[in-house]
Amino acid sequence: MTVSDAVGEAVAWGGGERKRKFGSEPLPAKWRTEGEQRIYSSKLIDALLRVRRSSASAPSALPSDHVRSREVRRAADRVLAVSARGRTRWSRAILLGRTLRRRVRQRAGCPKPASAAYVTRAAAERRKSPAVEKKTRVLGRLVPGCRKLPLPSLLEEASDYIMALEMQVRAMSAIDEAFSTAGGAPSSPTHVDSM
Amino acid sequence: MSARRSRSRQAGAARITDEQIDDLMSKLQAILPEARLGRNDRVSAAKVLQETCSYIRSLHREMDDLSERLSELLSTTEMSSAQAAVVRSLLM
Repeated sequence: MTVSDAVGEAVAWGGGERKRKFGSEPLPAKWRTEGEQRIYSSKLIDALLRVRRSSASAPSALPSDHVRSREVRRAADRVLAVSARGRTRWSRAILLGRTLRRRVRQRAGCPKPASAAYVTRAAAERRKSPAVEKKTRVLGRLVPGCRKLPLPSLLEEASDYIMALEMQVRAMSAIDEAFSTAGGAPSSPTHVDSM
Repeated sequence: MSARRSRSRQAGAARITDEQIDDLMSKLQAILPEARLGRNDRVSAAKVLQETCSYIRSLHREMDDLSERLSELLSTTEMSSAQAAVVRSLLM
């Protein structure tokens, strides 16, 4: 799936849902639903089979283990970002290759979440200890596309990102198990704590 | 956001209060695994941020490990369409 396809799909989902529901704020709780995980798993399997087919058809460029593993990881992240339906900064950053060189223009009429309201530079920096400021910067680097966000928006993005990552881990673990079983290989015990 | 609108808002109080930040912090604390910070005790903002960073890093590591396993499985398994169907049925 090309980047523009993925962005288009994510935004199209967002637009379609907005017609049915009020507001388009990110809903972190959805990541914990079974339905969401099922949809994600299905799309990820499609993506992985495509990755596999494309690497199989180019035998001259035998990818190293590391490269293959990175491709899987990237596919998993892309599908996760698409599932976010364009509503969060971190997901848009992933679809655009993890760097937002310009602000992504939001679609007209998309209501901004309350925490994205204007914050003066002075207010955002006031009353923050150096420790908090430093850790805020670290967090901004860990969440895709959120390097320069003020703290309130960053906290919202981080919450959603964490819930999405947790779902991703649950889904990937289950997929690993399923591929082990289907392939007939003995599955090694996973070290993922079940919820 | 027009420049004019920004300037007029700058004169007033900040729209984001400490209370709102505290609220977001405790929401984040509620999302983090209980073992990291507990549920009810008030924890400093710095601690919440630190544990958040640490947790995200551990999730990233877990994803790297899972991706590695999966890429090995994909390369060694002869994935026929029948087996792909088995995989789906195990998951859905």
